[in-house]
Amino acid sequence: MHRLLMLGLSHATADLATREKFAFNPDQQREVLEQFKEKFPGCEAVLLCTCNRVELYAATKTLNDPPIEELTSFLCASRGVRPEEFASHWYHRSERAVVHHLFTVVSSLDSMVLGESQILGQVREAYDLAHQQNVTGSLLNPLFQRALAVGKQVMSETQLGAGRLSVASVAIDYARRIFDHFDDKTVLNIGAGEMAELVLQHLKELNPGQLLLCNRSVSRAEELSRRFGGRTASLDELDELLVAADIVVTSTGASEPIITRARFEKLLKARRYRPIFIIDIAMPRDVEPSIEKLENVYLYNLDHLQQVVSQTQSQRKDAIAAAQQIVLDQVDSFISWHRRRELGPLIDSLYQKYHRIAQEEIERTLNKLPNTTAAEKEHLQELARRIVNKLLHDPMRMLKNAEGTHGPPAQYLHAMEKLFGLTETPEQPPDSEPK
Amino acid sequence: MPTPGQLALLIFAIVIFAIGGAASVLRLQGEPSRRLLLAKQCLYWGLLVSVAVLIWHCITRGSWIPLEDNFDAMLWLAILLTAFVLYVQTTKPVEGIDWFIMPIVILLLVAAVIFGREKPRLYTLQTWAWVHRVTAYGGAVAFVVAGAVGAMYLITNARLRNRLVVTGGTNFGSLERLEHFTRVSVTLGFALLTIGLITGVVEILHRPGSNPLGRDWFFHPIVLLTLGVWVIYALVLHAPINPAFRGRRAAMLSIVGLVLMIGAIIAVQWMPKTGGH
Repeated sequence: MHRLLMLGLSHATADLATREKFAFNPDQQREVLEQFKEKFPGCEAVLLCTCNRVELYAATKTLNDPPIEELTSFLCASRGVRPEEFASHWYHRSERAVVHHLFTVVSSLDSMVLGESQILGQVREAYDLAHQQNVTGSLLNPLFQRALAVGKQVMSETQLGAGRLSVASVAIDYARRIFDHFDDKTVLNIGAGEMAELVLQHLKELNPGQLLLCNRSVSRAEELSRRFGGRTASLDELDELLVAADIVVTSTGASEPIITRARFEKLLKARRYRPIFIIDIAMPRDVEPSIEKLENVYLYNLDHLQQVVSQTQSQRKDAIAAAQQIVLDQVDSFISWHRRRELGPLIDSLYQKYHRIAQEEIERTLNKLPNTTAAEKEHLQELARRIVNKLLHDPMRMLKNAEGTHGPPAQYLHAMEKLFGLTETPEQPPDSEPK
Repeated sequence: MPTPGQLALLIFAIVIFAIGGAASVLRLQGEPSRRLLLAKQCLYWGLLVSVAVLIWHCITRGSWIPLEDNFDAMLWLAILLTAFVLYVQTTKPVEGIDWFIMPIVILLLVAAVIFGREKPRLYTLQTWAWVHRVTAYGGAVAFVVAGAVGAMYLITNARLRNRLVVTGGTNFGSLERLEHFTRVSVTLGFALLTIGLITGVVEILHRPGSNPLGRDWFFHPIVLLTLGVWVIYALVLHAPINPAFRGRRAAMLSIVGLVLMIGAIIAVQWMPKTGGH
């Protein structure tokens, strides 16, 4: 019988300095999994390491073997630290709680940034790595495969992953809603604020056709040019630059708007009324707000972008309940599937054992009754079979419905194995199938 | 004239398209992947059933020449539009394009059921008249696309101006892409409509006094509406020379053009039942 265990620490229980001590790169992960295989033969493991969590998922053959303390010591030893130093940071789960925790993690419900999709890839990588090391098996394989499917389901069926959470990525989203391709577009950056750099970084990923960098300080513009590529230009050429630009990011420290409506209106014809996307992240603003009234001009300032970020945050919070429901449904479904799989062989072997005993007793009794007819023999055999079935019916029903009233189902299974002596493989009489 | 069996099958296609349309809209309320799949399957099956009706109709009337009667013409329009939606969604998907085009497809099929039951028109099979019909209907297909995409452009533009957050399937794609679609559709439609207009006028001039539009054909609604459509699309295509007509204005004009064109199609239905139309 398999037992599920998990121990770990995350951003919720440990600060960055502590998490750093347990950071494993892929090579170190492989090494730890190899050591795990040697130390706990027959056990399965997946080691999930991200910048926000380190978690060891294990499936063991027998209850409390290895105990959670031994797994903690193993993980601490692999990093050369003493377990008692970090005792307060560790959390551990067993059985159903492990499934629930993993499904919650992979759905990003336990992430620092709610709804981030990176965790799905990180769980996949951790599982793939363990699978390659042959340290996963009949329990962790289906568990992790189901977990990845649950993560995808949550992302596709809820709004948990919808929207953007940074001003820069919101700006890029808007750019994509205006323009289809960027290889023939010109991006103009005016000024050199920190936020503008972030936006530029994102815009650079769109591979724009041309990047123009314009700043009062030529040296600062050249510095940006070295980082992002592109051509530096003087503010004196601003009109020509605005005619050429399709996307403008502006963040100067000017006290008055540098792009006024009157100035831009004159340029519309020269621009051939091409759409322009202006991101004004300066404080005070660099672009006169009335410019947005002009045809094909899309002006966004810091407030507009920040508002979208806030909406995304509240939208994601609203989606938590739906995501949690999916997780709960999937946990139930997985546990039920797992229990059916685990209980099947145990129930079979129990029935086989007791039918065999009943059969032996019937044979012994029949030997003492030489005048018994064939029909009478059959009646006696049927009687013994019915008695065994009725005696086992209630315990089996209770076992199937065991839901942790007195302990997790695994404990029931373990107790059944011990009480009925099912750890040894019984002989397989041909007619001993339960009826 | 379509048989009751063909009409029943066509109504079945309408139901399939309607279910697909409902699934496509309802995907916004949840289970997007399952409902999108259902919508796509309905689109495929609806198209298949419509094509089956078209083939059956051709077999029963013993002719494979398209656009010989009302039923055939409406069916062709609907099939071409559905094929266009499928083509776009499989090559360069534009979210929600089906919301704008499929209602027109359903209306066309309903029109085929209603007008198709009437006595068929006696179409002449002269090449000249046939070219006129094919180009006029081909232009109509292109203008439906232009009008629908124009509407999507206006919605996207309004959302961007109001800084609305768009999630899921209501993102219709970028303005640039929608504008490109409108321009290509209008260019194609304009070329076809121009040929349709010229061939139509030539046909009328060949039969002075006996043409279905009457002696004062120039003031007939179909001629005036078609001319209106032609002028509007000429303006839309004018954008490269006068770029002030691009973007929102071009989108609005393409919608006005579509409305006029629908008027022209309705006018055709009220024309005398004999003659060239």
